[in-house]
Amino acid sequence: MDTVTAFTILCLLIVEARIIPDNYSKERRALLDEETLTAVGGKQHLNEDETIANDILMKWKMNELNESYINPQHFNFSKHYFSYKKDIEKSKVYQIIKRMPKGAVLHVHSSLMLSADVLVKLTYEDHLYACYSHDDVRLYFSETTPDRPCPTKWDLVSELRNSSGDPAAFDSQLKKYFTLDKDDGEDYNFVDINTVWKRFDKVYFAIKSLISYRPVREKYWYETLQQFYDDNIMYIEIRSGLQSLYELDGTKHNKKYLLDLYKKVTEKFIETHPDFIGVKLIITKHRAQSIDQVLEALNMARRLKVEEPDMIAGFDLVGQEDIGRPLTDFLPALSEAKGDINFYLHAGETAWLGTSADENLVDAILLGSKRIGHGYALTKHPSLMSAVMKKDIALEVNVISNVVLSLVHDVRNHPLASYLAMGAPVVLSSDDPGAWSAEPLSHDFFVAFMGVASKHADLRMLKQLALNSITYSALDDEGKARLLKVFNERWDRFVRDVITDVSLLDTNVV
Amino acid sequence: MRSVILAVLPILFIHAKCDDKYHEKRKQLVELELRMALGGNSTLNDKENIVNNCLMQHKFNELDYGFDNPDHYNLSHHFFNYRKQIQKSKVYKIIQSMPKGAVLHVHDMAIIGPDYFVNLTYMDHLYVCFGKPIKFWFSYTVPNTTCDGDWKLMKDVRKAAANVTQFDADLRKHFTLVCDNPDVVYPSIKETWDTFMGYFTSVFGLLSFRPNWEQYFYDALKLFRADNIMYVEVRSILPNLYELDGTVYDKIITAKAYRKAINKFLKDYPDFLGAKLIFAPSRKVDAKVLDSYIQTARHIKRDMPDLYAGFDLVGQEDLGNPLIEFVPQLLQAKDLNFFFHAGETNWFGTLTDENLVDAVLLGAKRIGHGYALAKHPALMREVIKKDIGIEVNVLSNAVLSLVKDVRNHPLNIFLSLDLPVVLSSDDPGAWEADPLSDDFYVAFVGVASRLADLRMLKGLALNSLKYSALKAEHKVRAIREFNSRWNDFVNHFDCKSY
Ligand SMILES: [Zn+2]
Ligand SMILES: [Zn+2]
Repeated sequence: MDTVTAFTILCLLIVEARIIPDNYSKERRALLDEETLTAVGGKQHLNEDETIANDILMKWKMNELNESYINPQHFNFSKHYFSYKKDIEKSKVYQIIKRMPKGAVLHVHSSLMLSADVLVKLTYEDHLYACYSHDDVRLYFSETTPDRPCPTKWDLVSELRNSSGDPAAFDSQLKKYFTLDKDDGEDYNFVDINTVWKRFDKVYFAIKSLISYRPVREKYWYETLQQFYDDNIMYIEIRSGLQSLYELDGTKHNKKYLLDLYKKVTEKFIETHPDFIGVKLIITKHRAQSIDQVLEALNMARRLKVEEPDMIAGFDLVGQEDIGRPLTDFLPALSEAKGDINFYLHAGETAWLGTSADENLVDAILLGSKRIGHGYALTKHPSLMSAVMKKDIALEVNVISNVVLSLVHDVRNHPLASYLAMGAPVVLSSDDPGAWSAEPLSHDFFVAFMGVASKHADLRMLKQLALNSITYSALDDEGKARLLKVFNERWDRFVRDVITDVSLLDTNVV
Repeated sequence: MRSVILAVLPILFIHAKCDDKYHEKRKQLVELELRMALGGNSTLNDKENIVNNCLMQHKFNELDYGFDNPDHYNLSHHFFNYRKQIQKSKVYKIIQSMPKGAVLHVHDMAIIGPDYFVNLTYMDHLYVCFGKPIKFWFSYTVPNTTCDGDWKLMKDVRKAAANVTQFDADLRKHFTLVCDNPDVVYPSIKETWDTFMGYFTSVFGLLSFRPNWEQYFYDALKLFRADNIMYVEVRSILPNLYELDGTVYDKIITAKAYRKAINKFLKDYPDFLGAKLIFAPSRKVDAKVLDSYIQTARHIKRDMPDLYAGFDLVGQEDLGNPLIEFVPQLLQAKDLNFFFHAGETNWFGTLTDENLVDAVLLGAKRIGHGYALAKHPALMREVIKKDIGIEVNVLSNAVLSLVKDVRNHPLNIFLSLDLPVVLSSDDPGAWEADPLSDDFYVAFVGVASRLADLRMLKGLALNSLKYSALKAEHKVRAIREFNSRWNDFVNHFDCKSY
């Protein structure tokens, strides 16, 4: 053998050594495929148009993610939501998600659904008085100066606004009471969870004082439906404590009145928006309340369920879980009511492991909760996780809420990533979008899709998440079928929109 | 064990009409989870129970204070902000005096800490270059390596300083990532890794000076031993050592220097079990360079089989080459024993993330970090099936910007699934942490369940020997030795002394 041949053979051998053997590639592919197939949406099949739409979506997703991968200092989702919120609208992926039908919102608290800007408009209603006390505001509608306690004094908002000389500035001051997003440059990473919840409660009470007035609540609710509808949501399950509303003359309504109001306003909304399916209520009580108070609320929910079976989905306990009472405190009452009403319990909305809030997950499962609110701590509990999968208990995941309420900083560490990978029954929701002025659902979808899910996650995952919100809703079979029909029609229209939209064609123009 | 658990579950979920039954079932479920967790299946003897009661009493005190006062809950903040306060913790003191077995994931140039390097700068013939980052070189004459400014004699520079104490304090800052306002200094992973890489450039010239190298590793072993560690596997890029006259040696000499330092240490401290080397060069290389690395590894393995433990590739995973690019070569080199860094990332579905697949398929004995593993159910199953050790470094992940609040660290998932976890410290010197105790403390109090106790700590220590690269018979001996030290610790335990 001459040297040239020897050299050639040597080269060939080296080249051969540089090729990945078939069996390795096959094994590798098998593992990756298994994971793709297991993940949420992995078994969805896309038709031809959907495939084209998916290509467009993924082209933009890769474009935007690669930019952050190369410049991690620009990667927004590792920072606080408030720091990148304003930039979201620029994202093409977001623009697609915004237009996408998203099915239902299943975890949202009724008083915190509308953003601060809209709430400020509601303060233009006549007869509104305000009581300012250092960093707090209480509002009350009244013909005359309210005969209610106030550490300072009650003033007519219209007069305060007029005499301020700068109504716009006055409004932007007022707006701050209605949102946690104060745009004041504070580093939210330093704010501890109890402080955030205190601020959150403050926002809640300010808003509540505005919308307890019956005429304003009607407007509030109609506007809320409009905004959710505009965000491509066709059905909502709201959590509500059913507070008492009042009239200008001070008359107070009973709690059921609010249920009737929701029903009446929603029906009116459906008249002009016939493809909106409707609203159901999950009656809630604050978990810091006494056992008797919770029992009372539970009994009211049972009674209302009999009176208005279509309007009542179930019962839940709300408020900061870490410091509230654990579910075990209410066990006798809850087990006793289990046959009459479905539970949709908040559980495991905590960063702690092995505490009572963490163990609420055990009780939520044992009590037969239909869905679990948050379930943030679930990944740390393998046997509970397998119970959730086996019993098909949906997890209502609210990523932005968990960021704002101090459970997680970099959303890539959010347990949703694991739930998605495992193909867990996940529904995405927004918890209290009004309290941080988020879009009804699109922001949450966007952050989950870009920041939490796998880079490979595509339209199939988005579609599956939307479908999950239908499957795991409290609607009966007929209701689900109706919602699904509306969803499918809108979905097809959405897909056609995406593939014909010229503004989505060129990925080079950002 | 796992299939048994699944069989038990359906019975547990039949709803109880009567309250007693509910509570019984609830208790069973909670206990089941604790039993499934790492260490949960072991039992403690009477003496161990006494230690455990003391440990848990202090743990509950510390945790419950943090729970009630989240504004003062240290472990949800940056390590630099609570680093010094750990030392006051009684749980920490117990952990420190507890035998912890082995450290299996640590990089040689970042073990000891900044003061050590400041001292080295007092040596003769040291030149300094005040570039970005600062560089050092020992030489008889002005070094001819590149410098963004001028090479100056360190002695002269220090002499010219108005205030030497201040000068040294400023100098010290180049040898540590620790600072007073970490959230401002390190807003993202980029700034952290830039500083971290700068650290290595700065200490490189000080350490790879041949006389320093041997002494340094000897001193590092001393530090491990003082932290109640009995065996170490150290990762090294094997820097080419140099002399004052400019002589530069090859990597084999560096390995030999290791062997020399270890042997000397074992002679001086016969109770120490030893140290092994994982050759871990940079992943930012081409195939040709990797070939040469593989050759070097084979060479060391052949000539110094007792020293050689295995092979790895290092550097910020997100920026380096993914393993897949090297698969053809690495498949031909499985005899080298792989201990790959893999999945040290927050990104999901990226090449870095998928390094986990290749680490598993290439037959890695252990995986460095595996931070992304919780997002990969199929890979997690393979890790369990193949019993691949996961080297978890919580403080490293916190300092190097993967996670802020350690309660969100995936270690808690690994622990509750009883994955083969070993705790380690990665680069403790670079952030002025203990060789291992700080990491153990943060994992135990900040990451693990509130209810995790001495059994978990013991299980973690035992894992560090079980998943070490020690030969079977040495492993048996090491575990026997560990048990005897553990018994000493337990027998002499006095709660009042903490
Ligand atoms: Zn909620
Ligand atoms: Zn490492």
